[in-house]
Amino acid sequence: MILPFSIVNPLTRIEVVRQLPQPGKVLVRERDNVETFQLVAEYTPPPQFAIINVSRELAVPPKKLSPYLEVAVGDAVAEGAVLASRGGLGGRACRAPFAGTVTGSGRGRLLLEAPSRPVQLNALVPGIVARVLPGEGAVIQAWGALIQGVWGNGKEVFGVLRVAVRGAHQSLRAKKLDASLQGAVVVGGSSCDEEALEQAAEMQIGGMIVGGVSPQLMPRLMEMPFPVVATDGVGKVSMSEAIFKLLRSLEGREAALSGRMPDLHRPAWSRLGDVERPYVAVPMPAQNGTVVDRNTPLTLGSRVRALRAPYMGMSGVVVDIPPGFVLLETGARRPCVKVDFEGETVLIPYANLELLL
Amino acid sequence: MTEEQTIESILVADCGAVNTNLLLLERVAESYRFVAQAETLTTAGAPWNDVSVGVVHAIWDLERITGRKFHANGKVIVPREGLTGVDAFVVILSAPEPLHVVLAGLVPEMSLESASHAVASIYASVEAVLCREGGLRSPEETWARTVRDLAPDVVLLVGGVDGGASRPVMELADAIALGASMLESDRRPRLIYAGNAKLRSQVTKLLGEIVTVDVVDNVRPTVDTEHLGPTQALLEQLYIEQRLYKLPGVDTLSVWSRLPLLPTATAFGRVVEYLWHREGRQERGVLGVDVGAASITIAACQHGELALSVHSQKGSVYGALALAEDEGVAALQQWLPEEMNAAQILAVLYNRALKPWTIPQQLPELWVEQAAVREMLRRAMREARTIWGGSQEDALPGFDPILVSGGSLVHMPRPGQILLALLDGLEPTGISTVLLDTNRAAPALGAIAGIKPLAAASALDAGTLVPLGTVISPVGKAHPGEGILQMRIIYEDGSTLAVEAHYGELELWPLLPGQRATLELRPNRRFDIGLGAPGHGGKVQVMGGLLGLVVDGRGRPLVLPENPEQRRHRLQRWLWDVGG
Repeated sequence: MILPFSIVNPLTRIEVVRQLPQPGKVLVRERDNVETFQLVAEYTPPPQFAIINVSRELAVPPKKLSPYLEVAVGDAVAEGAVLASRGGLGGRACRAPFAGTVTGSGRGRLLLEAPSRPVQLNALVPGIVARVLPGEGAVIQAWGALIQGVWGNGKEVFGVLRVAVRGAHQSLRAKKLDASLQGAVVVGGSSCDEEALEQAAEMQIGGMIVGGVSPQLMPRLMEMPFPVVATDGVGKVSMSEAIFKLLRSLEGREAALSGRMPDLHRPAWSRLGDVERPYVAVPMPAQNGTVVDRNTPLTLGSRVRALRAPYMGMSGVVVDIPPGFVLLETGARRPCVKVDFEGETVLIPYANLELLL
Repeated sequence: MTEEQTIESILVADCGAVNTNLLLLERVAESYRFVAQAETLTTAGAPWNDVSVGVVHAIWDLERITGRKFHANGKVIVPREGLTGVDAFVVILSAPEPLHVVLAGLVPEMSLESASHAVASIYASVEAVLCREGGLRSPEETWARTVRDLAPDVVLLVGGVDGGASRPVMELADAIALGASMLESDRRPRLIYAGNAKLRSQVTKLLGEIVTVDVVDNVRPTVDTEHLGPTQALLEQLYIEQRLYKLPGVDTLSVWSRLPLLPTATAFGRVVEYLWHREGRQERGVLGVDVGAASITIAACQHGELALSVHSQKGSVYGALALAEDEGVAALQQWLPEEMNAAQILAVLYNRALKPWTIPQQLPELWVEQAAVREMLRRAMREARTIWGGSQEDALPGFDPILVSGGSLVHMPRPGQILLALLDGLEPTGISTVLLDTNRAAPALGAIAGIKPLAAASALDAGTLVPLGTVISPVGKAHPGEGILQMRIIYEDGSTLAVEAHYGELELWPLLPGQRATLELRPNRRFDIGLGAPGHGGKVQVMGGLLGLVVDGRGRPLVLPENPEQRRHRLQRWLWDVGG
């Protein structure tokens, strides 16, 4: 049976896929050493353009327009330059809305184009280029701690990790956020409210890690200038103890925090595995560690995390794999596993568990 | 002996967006039956990036269940040798992303409507519609920008009846050409031209150097006629080429199978078509609904014509989340038998979208998921009705049987919950037998029909579909509690039961699976039960099922009480009535 997994590991191989949203140019080679802010790939978006209806603006029929045109196809024009004009009483001028090149004309219209600025992608995690994805990006490999989250707001940062709460179940309070956290990746326990979020923006923190995010706060979280990553779910969810302990042990180290994730409205299997999920990566000088085996089976002693209420976010150890089916509160009968959540032993359906590797 | 005749054992892999279902069909005595099933996660995405991994895991489960060997040396063993391997391996898929389509046309109620009907027959998402409606100041620029920014897989250009409008169609073509020309050549869309036949050469000349142009018959050759076949066939071919065969790992499955891969919706449609022919009743259609996490497929066969509508990204998980984000949670909240606030509902929807393979462990979460099925099914039905030529508000025509498939429905914990979600989602009318595809075998059988029709027919006839019950849904209005239908149930053993159904109630009477009964029906004169006209009754033969005989006396259209407390009370009572 395939069981989904999340990596929550203090020393493992970190593989970060740095992929452009559109085809472009890769700027590194395999086995290159790269630093956090080193560019690995770039692409140039399609040109900016405008179709200018000169005929309408000058009030001249398309067929009679040519005497009034002051530019021809191929001409470079500055912003505000006159493209066509009509003198006399009620004279009018048609101007370029931006600097560019006239690339087409016809039916009383001019087509103006201007090249776009290249969009660049940095390495984010210092390491070595393990693979080049031709025309798309590169896979950066490093060793260190890796924690995969479940939700992110699409942004990313590299900064020093700071823990601003005392426990995994505590939510982040505005009063805990001061100027000393500027640029830091702040660990916020179970959740954060709107007041804490605004204070975090005010203090210019680098990023935020919480256990769960309120669904109604999500639109605001998407607008935040810094990355926010939820490690365990949406709603009232505590941060998993295993994750909180690991993050606390990493306090003061530099971490890459990525809130990038696939579109939630489309089925995307990447949410199951080890790429394109939100993550916290803390690179270490070590050059080896455990390599996660994605086909790890569930056995007695496996570290697992519950994915649905009422145990969502709780991590524990498998203590029994009973045969047969168990009747759930909903009336469904499902195969279940007995898990010890730090003293409390409960039966959880296989479908609602993931391995912590 | 031909190859078709020697096929006695067939393995079908149905790779859905969330789960991969593996079914083993074998000849047992004189008929074919499903003998084993295994289900696992679909592995088309990271970290596996290989859909065949999930299939192999499911095969291992199947080997454990049956004690036989189906996979060796990295492939499925075909043909069978004794009890090892199978005679044929069939693959159907709904796991790939839908085809991204931009529609371009002139009149929303005419050619664009026909274009959207054509697109609805495949797994596709309409990303944008380009037309002059909406008072755009610079439509060409907007259209070109849309094509450039969305970089769709396909632009379907329609417009103008044959010999009709030219200039507006060419303006659209111009803008599409401009937008496409700004994209790298490998990101440019394919253009399907299905508009005014007179403009074919002009469109091809203008766009042919920029994109690949396919010209097919006009979807709206005259004002009153719709001609979708060629466009639908081409779109399906493109979906198969650009999505099915490009899914990571599908090449491995293709080598193992050596049979063409098939979209699940197409396979499902074939079964519905078969059921219509089997029933052999010209006046009654057959309806199939397949509700999944990512999409809903509705297949209706009426007068021998199959209308297939695939509602991509409008399934019970991803579709419901998008609905709640766009419109708020009220549409879902109205179906909840317990009070839940917006934050609680949204949290369930988000967590389900993040982990779509999980199941609810608590009742409130179950209610949210079932509310999502009801509401998404209702919306899909409204859209489907326009494809059948009706309006969104029309009552559903009489269908018998109604086939229910898809994980979101069949995985509900209790049969009563499935039936109630179906009744609320479809609002059927008249008399319908409801067949439940508990093992999700229907699409598999549709695929098998392509290689061994006898096996598919035999398995369907041999009880692959579980009868949920016979539902009588009188159409009309009355006061709550008023008698609307008198019924005498004459069982096979000669015993009889005389009962009356009341307005506003859901009532169940016993009729076990495998049993048949004759019903003498006498509806109230204002109620139509599909036997000709309001008040018309008669004798009908019906079959039993898990829930027996059900009269849905809640009227059509189904109206829920506006008062939230009264509504929840009513929903709880209906759930109680059907044993949910």
